[in-house]
Amino acid sequence: MNTAVFMASQLIREWSGIQQFPPATQDKLLELLGRLKEKKRNKLTILVMGKGGVGKSSTVNSIIGERAVTVSAFQSEAPRPTMVSRERSGFTLNIIDTPGIVEGGYVNDQAIDVIKRFLLNKTIDVLLYVDRLDAYRVDTLDGQVVKAISSIFGQEIWHRAILVLTHAQVSPPDSLTYDEFLSKRSEALLKVVHLGARFNKQDIQNISIPVGLVENSGRCNKNGKDEKILPNGTAWIPTIVETITKVALTESKSILVDQRLIDGPNPNDRGKLFIPLILAFQYFFVLKPIQRWIKRDVEKEVKPQWA
Amino acid sequence: MVSLRAGGVYTKAQLQKELETLATCGMFEKVDLEAKTNPDGTIGLTVSFTESTWEEADHFRCINVGLMQQSKAVDVEDNMTEKEKVDYMRSQERDYRRRMDRARPCMLPRSVHSEIVQILGQGNVSARMLQNIRDRVQKWYHDEGYACAQVVNFGNLNTNEVVCEVVEGDITRVVIQFQDKLGNVCEGNTQIGVVRRELPKQLQKGNVFNIEAGKQALRNINSLSLFSNIEVNPRPDEKNEGGIIVEIKLKELEQKSAEVSTEWSIVPGRGGRPTLASIQPGGTVSFEHRNIKGLNRSLLGSVTTSNFLNPQDDLAFKLEYVHPYLDGVSNSRNRTLRTSVFNSRKLSPVFTGGPGVDEVPPIWVDRAGVKTNITENFTRQSKFTYGIVMEEIITRDESSHISSNGQRVLPSGGISADGPPTTLSGTGIDRMVFAQANITRDNTKFVNGAIVGERNVFQLDQGLGIGSKFPIFNRHQLTMTRFIQLKEVEEGAGKPPPPVLVLHGHYGGCVGDLPSYDAFTLGGPYSVRGYNMGEIGAARNILELAAEIRIPVRSTHVYAFVEHGNDLGSSKDVKGNPTEVYRRMGQGSSYGVGAKLGLVRAEYAIDHNSGTGALFFRFGERF
Repeated sequence: MNTAVFMASQLIREWSGIQQFPPATQDKLLELLGRLKEKKRNKLTILVMGKGGVGKSSTVNSIIGERAVTVSAFQSEAPRPTMVSRERSGFTLNIIDTPGIVEGGYVNDQAIDVIKRFLLNKTIDVLLYVDRLDAYRVDTLDGQVVKAISSIFGQEIWHRAILVLTHAQVSPPDSLTYDEFLSKRSEALLKVVHLGARFNKQDIQNISIPVGLVENSGRCNKNGKDEKILPNGTAWIPTIVETITKVALTESKSILVDQRLIDGPNPNDRGKLFIPLILAFQYFFVLKPIQRWIKRDVEKEVKPQWA
Repeated sequence: MVSLRAGGVYTKAQLQKELETLATCGMFEKVDLEAKTNPDGTIGLTVSFTESTWEEADHFRCINVGLMQQSKAVDVEDNMTEKEKVDYMRSQERDYRRRMDRARPCMLPRSVHSEIVQILGQGNVSARMLQNIRDRVQKWYHDEGYACAQVVNFGNLNTNEVVCEVVEGDITRVVIQFQDKLGNVCEGNTQIGVVRRELPKQLQKGNVFNIEAGKQALRNINSLSLFSNIEVNPRPDEKNEGGIIVEIKLKELEQKSAEVSTEWSIVPGRGGRPTLASIQPGGTVSFEHRNIKGLNRSLLGSVTTSNFLNPQDDLAFKLEYVHPYLDGVSNSRNRTLRTSVFNSRKLSPVFTGGPGVDEVPPIWVDRAGVKTNITENFTRQSKFTYGIVMEEIITRDESSHISSNGQRVLPSGGISADGPPTTLSGTGIDRMVFAQANITRDNTKFVNGAIVGERNVFQLDQGLGIGSKFPIFNRHQLTMTRFIQLKEVEEGAGKPPPPVLVLHGHYGGCVGDLPSYDAFTLGGPYSVRGYNMGEIGAARNILELAAEIRIPVRSTHVYAFVEHGNDLGSSKDVKGNPTEVYRRMGQGSSYGVGAKLGLVRAEYAIDHNSGTGALFFRFGERF
């Protein structure tokens, strides 16, 4: 309650960071914002989640165009989620940066609780599931992260998710081209997402999770127009914002994080409708047979002649 | 046959009577009594007789002449003519045949019948042979428990069918008599019907008296717990020849009583060593008003505390009214109505920690309410109970404040009060009305002191939608225990008991509203031994399995066991997931060995989750 009032009274800052992008990038971004406003969307809430140390906060800063969230290479990040909000010509962009939900080899339940509480009554339009492009292995920990995310929002969140791979300016190993490496890495990670989010064959066909590439380092290469580019030649900032826009405009509904979602399905209600059936079953197939067997025991009892 | 004894002093009349008895008993053709005076003034008596013999017979009939007049001995008067004698004999025979027809068949079975026919086949029927037959017939009756049966006469002797007349001991009356402390007959408070329904069928008017039936009547009446002394005695009925009157003499117990009892409990303390739970004694004060209206109705009240010296810490009371013979004293259906007002206070095992989590703030669950149910006893052990419970449940913390959520220790070390909710309503106070049913099928029996057989129990709690948050739930438990005898042994006093394998399973499940105080908990002396109560977890559905093998050793037994408890993944289905919040595993096994020392079981159990073992002393039975 308090948070909402606070937000209402707080003036949302102007998205001044756009200014520092190269003009080519700026134009593309404004065009995408225009597309959103056309479809009557003047607000977009993006949630960034993933393991620790993959580059979530850096990505947020890159998109916003300023150092909105503190980043430090070796220190563990802030323990609480932060929402960065910027406004531009009537359009509000909210990006929520979260702490990594993995600690000491296990999913950190407390971090999840803190995130749940922060997100109460907010609506998530897009989920950025962040991991590094320049890693070669996936393990059970990744699966657990996906499971944890699914347990908070339900499987529906994956209809509005983007797999974001950071450190995209990577030299692939000798035997592979950049595109081959990218495809292998994203395939491996998507498989983990399918497993952890319990996708059945139908889901895998219907839900395609787009992949986004990000390079947050200052040493990122630039093209002629001064845009930051990746080894495959694409300017990644407008590309990722375009992907975000596409996902934001899909048909599926945004996820409203209400108390019910946080609490999960009420186990008390599950199966309540079946109680009369269960009661009937217990009466006819348990109580009555046992009564019959007892009566039979009484009859069969060996009684002396005089009894 | 001769009642005269050496050293006795008899008058002439007595000696004559004796001679007459011997002469008329029908066993002797001729009896002579010769007296010889000895030098010292005593008389030497010689009884010489000629044994009666009759023609050989090959048929035997046994008739019950109880309650009929005794047949008179055949007497031939001297001044009859030959023809008159023959006529007289013939009419006697006719009379006898009519008597035989009027008599009832006796109970003697085929096998004894054939035995006797074999005896008859040995030659001419003699008095000695008749004695043999009489002893054989009486032995059968007495072995079967018909202690009042007697052979009174043999008839039809000169034919080829010997008839044996038996008085079996038919009951003509059953008299129930109340006595006071001094043994004088008095008015009893107990209604006669209450005693009558405990008598086995055989002990009724018209049946033959059987001592085993008498013993069973004694046991049944004793189990009413209404009498301090019970006697079941047969005596001959003077008004009816051969009849038996069964007299049941009862001394009633005091109707009102009050009692105080104290106890100390021994629990595992530090390091598993048995220690006194507390120096202060706990105990119970109770009163009882029994046998109200003579129909074995009773009113019992009791107050129990675990600390007599400071009772408000933990006080439980119970007031119960028991009303047996719900369908009427004369109806053989055995249904009892019980109504009670109760309250109790228990530590909730749902809010306890797993191993290594010591400081879990405890939650006390106070229950107070009314319950009423009807129990139908099918046998001594198997029964079916159904009824309704209306109760108010309040969850409190250590300082007795109402607590609506469990407390949690945060990683920072602080305590937060937003643990799992303790009640359905979320306020710490729940009120609900629900129906309860329990059916127990118990076929266990003792073989030389070891329990053998099987026991199945099904229990059901059905919420009726009445109460806080309109709770509707179906909480059910099925328990199956098998005591398997591994070796045939001879049954008898002092004989060794057989080795027994015990297999036990307990399934509990709940569909619908489940407040955390009603969640099933795993761990504990009656759940999984070796763990504290609730140490393994609290869940919506549980499964407990146990196996124990008992080997008799000298006068007691030793045993080894293995147990397992599992939450079937339903820990998360208890609101707030207290299993996870208090870091419990959700499943656990244990194994160990033990020995029964008198009333106490000493056992060493190893908790498989933590790998540690501890020594425990327990009273009572695990299964």
